[in-house]
Amino acid sequence: MREQGLAADDPVLRLDRVGLSYGPENDVLSDVSLSLAPGSLTFLTGPSGAGKSTLLKLAYLGLRPTAGRVSIFGVDTTRLSRRELAPLRRRVGVVFQEFRLLDHLSAYENVALPLRVAGAQERTYREDVVELLTWVGLGDRLEARPATLSGGEKQRVAIARAVVVKPNLILADEPTGNVDEEMGDRLFRLFRELNKRLGTTILIATHDMALVRKAKSDVLRLADGMVMRVPASALAAKEEPA
Amino acid sequence: MSASLSPLLPKEDAREAALFFVVCALCFLAALSGLVSRSAYAAADAWTNDVTGQITVRVRGDDAALARAVEVTTATPGIATARAITRAEAEELLQPWLGAGGVPATLPLPRLVAAEAAPDSDAKDLVLRLTAGLKSAGLETVVDDHLVWSADVRKSIDLAGLVALTAVGLLAATGVAVIAFATHATLLARRDIVELLHLSGAQDGFIAGLFERRFLMLGVQAGALGALMAFGAAAFVLYLLRQSDAQIWLLPQLSLSLADGLILGLAPLVAGVASMIAARVTVMRSLADMV
Repeated sequence: MREQGLAADDPVLRLDRVGLSYGPENDVLSDVSLSLAPGSLTFLTGPSGAGKSTLLKLAYLGLRPTAGRVSIFGVDTTRLSRRELAPLRRRVGVVFQEFRLLDHLSAYENVALPLRVAGAQERTYREDVVELLTWVGLGDRLEARPATLSGGEKQRVAIARAVVVKPNLILADEPTGNVDEEMGDRLFRLFRELNKRLGTTILIATHDMALVRKAKSDVLRLADGMVMRVPASALAAKEEPA
Repeated sequence: MSASLSPLLPKEDAREAALFFVVCALCFLAALSGLVSRSAYAAADAWTNDVTGQITVRVRGDDAALARAVEVTTATPGIATARAITRAEAEELLQPWLGAGGVPATLPLPRLVAAEAAPDSDAKDLVLRLTAGLKSAGLETVVDDHLVWSADVRKSIDLAGLVALTAVGLLAATGVAVIAFATHATLLARRDIVELLHLSGAQDGFIAGLFERRFLMLGVQAGALGALMAFGAAAFVLYLLRQSDAQIWLLPQLSLSLADGLILGLAPLVAGVASMIAARVTVMRSLADMV
């Protein structure tokens, strides 16, 4: 699927020599360059504290870099105003590591939140939201508040919320971190399906190397403030027994 | 699945109950100040209207001098009527202070002529001509058209009105400051919601709208209760005055008229709109700090 205002071969997300520091001696990211092609599914791996979550935060426009340039859907966001960033954010679905579900809303209402922000009427999305929650195995928990959900259930609600608007780009921070292997596989199949059927570009930050190996997708490895791309083929070769 | 969706901002908590009380109290005080100020103006109007066109001539001398003063006054162009105030009438005027029959027979009371100016006469010119006429008739008199007294009353009431308006202004400013502080506190407490909405692509106006609607309703409801309490307090004072032997004509006219109703009706509207604006400005400023 071609992104709006994006040439066929333009990356959906592009970071050019991006740096982020919280002070002179506190560089979180020093010189990160990467690009995600339209319709790609990529993993972001790296040791704890390497800055995976920070990189995702830059990508979903939750932070501005202290150096370099972040472009999304072919738009350089460096000089965009807050008002101009909002429409771009609506085209990005984010699965936060800490879920960020709103406690006073039901699972159904949490999933519907991005649609309410976009101004959609409930009657136009009710069935889609129910279907989506049913698909992630929460068809019987529509009215449940987050406080009554398990970690895995919260995770699935968070994923459903991220994909409900059929975004052009999905950024997921440890989306299978709180679910068992079976549910992890199922959730990954959801990402894969969105990627294949709708051409949604997906970047998944994860520690789950088993999932990465099964997925046979490209990997971006973040270490020492820099990113290195590992093609799926290279990863597979590395896994093969000598 | 909900029949109706929950509000994106959670329903009120203890902080908002305290805020409701503060806004309610501020509106009560503001409405009461407005009522007192308006009734003071009404009283001043009543007092000054009563004496407008009235001229009193105090005569030194005996009853013959008084009779002569009445003649001269009546004959002065611009005077509609003039008559001598009898001792009985003078005693009646003093009754509120000295009581019934409280004026000793030996107490000399001033001899007075009560005159009324013709409606189209120039009061100042009339007083000058009357004074000159009485003087040329050989009478020792003091002519009082109550203008000085009326002006003093008007000046005092204007001052009281200014004080009341300042009080209303200060109360409104305090209300706005309190709402702004509370909005900021709510914003901090609900930062998770604000951030999530922001990252979901909500424009600042959308987020501010959530707070605006919340504080508009709070302001209107608290303002209505405060105005209702002010109405109750005013009605209670009015009731007490009417039940007592107090000389209520001296007191401000607590009538609870249409104008009072307007003040009471405006209080919740002003509180609501001020709350809404304070909330919007606070939220927009806070959001400006986000990416």
